Amino acid sequence: MLVLVVLLMTTASLSAQVVGKATKGSFLLKNATIETVTKGSVKGDLLIKDGKIADIGSGLSATGAKEIDCTGKFVYPGFIDGGTNLGLIEVSSVSLTQDAREGGDIKPFLEALTAVNPSSVAIPVTRVSGVTTVIAMPEGGLIPGKAALINLVGYSPDEMYAGFKAMRMNFPSSAARGRRDRRSEEDRKKAEEKTFKEITKLWDETKLFAKIKAAKATDASIMQEYNPTLEGMIPVVEGKLPLFIEVNRSADILSALKWIKKTGVKAVLTGVSEGWRVADSIAAAKIPVITGPVIGMPTRQSDRYDRPYANAGLMAKAGVTVAIRSNDTENVRDLPFHAGFAAAYGMGREEALKAITIVPAQIMGLEDRLGSLEVGKDANLFICDGDPLETKTQIEQVFISGWEIPMNSRHSLLYDEFLDRSPGIKN
Amino acid sequence: MMKYLFGCICSLLLLLPSGLGAQGSDEKRPPVTRTFFLNNAYVVQSPGKVIDLGSVLIRDGLIQAVGKDLKAPADAKVMKADSMYIYAGFIDGLSNLGVPKPKEDDRSNRGRGQREYNPSYERAGIQTERSVVDMLSPEDKALSEMRAIGFTAAHVVPRGGMLPGQGAVILLGGDDAGKMIVSEGSSLFAQFQGASGVYPNTDMAIMSKFRELYTQARQHKTHSESYAKNARGMSRPAQNDVLAAFGESIDGQRAIFFAVDGIKEMHRALTLSKELGFPLALAEVTMGQKAIAPLKASGASIFLTLDLPKAKAEAKKGEKEETDEEKMMLEKQRAAAQQLHEEQAAMLSKSGLAFGFSTLNAKAKDIRPNLERMIKAGLTEDQALAALTTTPAQMLGLSDIMGTVEKGKIANLVVTDQPYFAKGANIRYVFVDGMPSEYEVKKKKKKKPGDPDAKVMAAGEWNLEIDVPMEQMATPTLTITDEDGSLSGKLVSGMGTNDISNMSLEGDNLTFSYTTEGGGQTVTVSFDLTIDGDSLEGSMSAGSFGSFDVEGSREPKK
Amino acid sequence: MYKHSLMLFLLLAVSALSAQVEKGSIHIKNGTVLTVTNGILENADVVIEDGIITRIGKNLKTPSGAKTVDATGQFVMPGIIDAHSHIALDAVNEATHPITAEVRTGDVLDPLDVGIYRALAGGVTATHAMHGSANAIGGQCETIKLRYGTFNPNDLKMEGAPRTIKFALGENPMRVHGEGGGLMSRTRMGIEHVFRRGFSEAQQYLAAQEAYNKNKASDPSAVPPMYDRRLEALGDILKGDIIIHCHSYRADEILMLMNVCKDFGIKRLVFQHVNEGFKVAPELAEFGAGASVFADWWAYKFEVYYSTAYNAAILTKNGVVTSINSDSGDYIRHLFHQAGKTQRYGKLTDNEALRLITLNPAIQLGIDDRVGSLEKGKDGDVAIFNAHPLSVYAIPQMTIVDGIVRFDIKEDGNDQRLAPDPEKVDMMMLNYDEDHRCMEGTGEALFHNH
Repeated sequence: MLVLVVLLMTTASLSAQVVGKATKGSFLLKNATIETVTKGSVKGDLLIKDGKIADIGSGLSATGAKEIDCTGKFVYPGFIDGGTNLGLIEVSSVSLTQDAREGGDIKPFLEALTAVNPSSVAIPVTRVSGVTTVIAMPEGGLIPGKAALINLVGYSPDEMYAGFKAMRMNFPSSAARGRRDRRSEEDRKKAEEKTFKEITKLWDETKLFAKIKAAKATDASIMQEYNPTLEGMIPVVEGKLPLFIEVNRSADILSALKWIKKTGVKAVLTGVSEGWRVADSIAAAKIPVITGPVIGMPTRQSDRYDRPYANAGLMAKAGVTVAIRSNDTENVRDLPFHAGFAAAYGMGREEALKAITIVPAQIMGLEDRLGSLEVGKDANLFICDGDPLETKTQIEQVFISGWEIPMNSRHSLLYDEFLDRSPGIKN
Repeated sequence: MMKYLFGCICSLLLLLPSGLGAQGSDEKRPPVTRTFFLNNAYVVQSPGKVIDLGSVLIRDGLIQAVGKDLKAPADAKVMKADSMYIYAGFIDGLSNLGVPKPKEDDRSNRGRGQREYNPSYERAGIQTERSVVDMLSPEDKALSEMRAIGFTAAHVVPRGGMLPGQGAVILLGGDDAGKMIVSEGSSLFAQFQGASGVYPNTDMAIMSKFRELYTQARQHKTHSESYAKNARGMSRPAQNDVLAAFGESIDGQRAIFFAVDGIKEMHRALTLSKELGFPLALAEVTMGQKAIAPLKASGASIFLTLDLPKAKAEAKKGEKEETDEEKMMLEKQRAAAQQLHEEQAAMLSKSGLAFGFSTLNAKAKDIRPNLERMIKAGLTEDQALAALTTTPAQMLGLSDIMGTVEKGKIANLVVTDQPYFAKGANIRYVFVDGMPSEYEVKKKKKKKPGDPDAKVMAAGEWNLEIDVPMEQMATPTLTITDEDGSLSGKLVSGMGTNDISNMSLEGDNLTFSYTTEGGGQTVTVSFDLTIDGDSLEGSMSAGSFGSFDVEGSREPKK
Repeated sequence: MYKHSLMLFLLLAVSALSAQVEKGSIHIKNGTVLTVTNGILENADVVIEDGIITRIGKNLKTPSGAKTVDATGQFVMPGIIDAHSHIALDAVNEATHPITAEVRTGDVLDPLDVGIYRALAGGVTATHAMHGSANAIGGQCETIKLRYGTFNPNDLKMEGAPRTIKFALGENPMRVHGEGGGLMSRTRMGIEHVFRRGFSEAQQYLAAQEAYNKNKASDPSAVPPMYDRRLEALGDILKGDIIIHCHSYRADEILMLMNVCKDFGIKRLVFQHVNEGFKVAPELAEFGAGASVFADWWAYKFEVYYSTAYNAAILTKNGVVTSINSDSGDYIRHLFHQAGKTQRYGKLTDNEALRLITLNPAIQLGIDDRVGSLEKGKDGDVAIFNAHPLSVYAIPQMTIVDGIVRFDIKEDGNDQRLAPDPEKVDMMMLNYDEDHRCMEGTGEALFHNH
């Protein structure tokens, strides 16, 4: 097994070299159709400098900037995926390459950012599709740990970190885990109740812990034992660190909304696959939602076949703030297609595009930096030859934090090598 | 095991009316007479053929005379039958009555670790050479339960895998397995029951294995027959009882009975019969109305299940968060699905298909209500009666000796105080092989669930019988003490003694629970019982282990 | 006797298949008709009579008794065919032996699976209901038509479709019978041996049968070899009566199976998944083997770590007959979108991309004379979309099988289950991965283990 890991690490770093280096500098995108998302569609030029969008206008010029002719092309803000395991899982069936799921149930002290592998082969595969920024999420248990927003460029997690973290929580549910879940309805309900008790206890203890800690600041005689669990929960309980609450079943969503109101946490609902059933309640509670996958199965046998496609649109129509995520690892590149399906099934193209750009930025409080093409914002953007939600559209050049990204990945390199294989079968 | 058996026998004694089951420690007395006379009754000889106020004379196990103006002979016991209804005893098309469950072995754990790639016939569940007659146990309490609702004969089959063995028709009474048997080797029994962890595990493999066995059996038969004619110079056929057992089916003489779980399995059985050409009988049939044409084409004997999905009131409650509209839609779907089951018998009758009933998966207590539901869904009472008497007799090839109330037939009779299918009708006598069981009329129909106004006594020592697969827990004793209305008690079982403090009695409804350790976890065991005089019934639930039926009776005061 | 019984068996088997299936007549009017074989026809009609396409052209007359469908502004394409699916099955793996060539998924079809309806709602009209990948030689598969509404499993069978069988290479059979069983096959070497041993034993069996058939007239005491369904099935592969569809990933194992097939004279071979097919595309083309691939799945296990979403494009451009399959109750509902991905990854033309989910899978299943394109004389299996089906915004509007409308977005209600269990509450499941059934029945909890 060790050998395998070593092998994987080696190959991973090898391929990072193969993909090539990103270049930082000034870039002037000329004569493009600039889809700002927040300020409509603009015909003109866009200047990237010092990692930021330095200017948008017509007839721009900049000395020293690399000029890129974008006649007939489009420029879009980089897509943001509000929930992935990218960087944390390399090969999902090889357990030693999985860093998303730590043991234990309540783990607020875990940092997903720590385990993000900048050399993950899936990172270049993802970013060349226009997804520039993703939330990397830890998994498992009641409190899986802290998720982190990362840009898909950089040689270290710190370089990649894009300035947002949230605690994750899997909200208690009495839903069956799947066909193999043999627990009776009663037992599932009991397990749910037990978890609720644990949460109440966790909140109470954290509050007390925080109170003693505050007292300790002025009274050196107070001793407090090392307690990373409660320490980690303090910012959540105090409503300072956002809490991403994974919840899917309609009844659980309602119960989560009630709980949020009671505890006053700074909450975002994630998953929310049955949100369409209780969209009005979510809207009334004014809690934002990151939903997905959109391209997925209905949650119940009796549900209409298109519920998952329509879910985001139905929630948006009810007034919910909706961002879309892929909930994927190696195929986070499908994010624009998830948005495309949501668009087709009632959300509309404009809203769906926002759901993977400005809306997730707003949910994270980063709308001044990410999610649209505006002067002063981070230069996370890409050039393409058409509607980027459309399947056949080619993404031609991606910029992340002003870095010009090599438009290669394992997938494209294998294509280049094997399309006309040499030596061929008959040489 | 002894304890378990003892419990069974005890309960038999308790449940049984006088007449049968008069064992005990006294010397066995022969019955006073084997001649019985029933007079002034409506004799339903066969569906639609009734003698108003006629008589039936039974002697030495047979119906000796049926008609008006018969006189009671001097040696007869005259049974009170004024204005009662006499029917032919019911015949169950397929069940495990009288065939006790084998002790659980560790099969469920097999399959992991070292694989068995060439399992023996036995391990694979292929045991065609076995006969159910070697497994019969007259003490099986299911026999008396079924008899109490009017069944007097049954086609019974062994338990096991895909081909558990040969079935037999038995009478549901008598204390000697040999005397119970009416016809041996009546069938080969088959079911889509895979072997755990070995081939054939899925229905795919069962289908294939069946075809292979049948084809090999034909080959084996031909070979053996040629060899018997002229052995010289021919390789000797191997002795193979499993294949040899198919012989009569290959000759078209013995039906292969498939118990099918659902319409898909039914089609699988039809496919096999069509391909291989053996005579087919189908038991536990559901949704047959969706397969009228293939059923007709197959010529198969058909036995519909007497197990129906639980009626609505008993169905589990739905999740609560659906919108009203959605709830209504789901309920509509559920009701339609339910109707598919309830109206099967009526629809088959309408299409002209003959059928009997089978009870493999049915609980005795559900059978009469289920018949009532089928009748409500359009089955006529005569059709129902035919499916319980004449048709199964015919399909099992036993019309000469059972199925109607006619002279010369085995004296299997059901006697009721009102027409059998009428609401509130009570069974008064059931004759099996000419010997009666008598049943008291229950004073009051128990209300369900519980009667909050009933006044009952809970205190005393109760012998419980729990339908649980754990022997230690099957026959516990519950002792209840009543101190000025405050109840407490203890439950003594093979698993130890549990004190119970949270006992409550509301009307006739007794509930209590306790916790215990089981399988490395803490389990809450709760009882919900209804007391009626000196007996009780209800259920016990034990966490993830499930819920089990409970019956019990109060130990008479010493 | 032996031959006689076999003949009888075959006759009966054929008659068992010839169940009556419902067929209909429909006149689809004024759509953009994507024929796949004869280009695009604007404002054209398709007429289906008694389940068969009788005319394609402009302003056609409606046959008497035919239903009419106005397809103005809509796209009409051949019904989508999924060459790798596990919907409509009650069992997927008979995982109890490395060779189970004798079992057939056609024996365990589930016409009540609501997954059939959901596939229809994605424009699919036929699927290849495959055995799983637990065994090196799995069971025989069934090509089915999505005639949702019937309660008779046999009605799903596409009458006359050639027989196919599932083989499997690599990690899945290695895990099930190597790690799990302690017997062959723990390695890719062992898997090759399972094939060679199986085929060699089948050769012996066939030879013994032949010897018996030759001798029986002159020698009345001749006894046929004991009937063995496993060897019968392997023998049928050797005779060319069954198309092999082999679960595979790595280039080396793909080459291995082609070598084995060459040695045993087997010619009808389609590789499934075949993630590294792109590496050996010239060899696949030379052998004449088909490739049925995922659009973009990779990295869910080690043997698909070196994959590329450009696989279908490379294979297609190297002349390999390629299809895109779902292997999933989820992805089967948007195969048109999966096919579209070959335009992002490899820039296939519209028609090349459409062929991946229509004519090419039909060729791989040996049913291209019946389905896979809109042509006179072919089955009336049609999908109608509101936009070009390769667009991400396309929504299937209507799906027709044998001239019968089986999905209609305008007419259909929400709950499409045929016979739900009245005692079971329809409850929500949390697990997203339940639609992946390739390794079902092997007792393993899995991720994407296709």
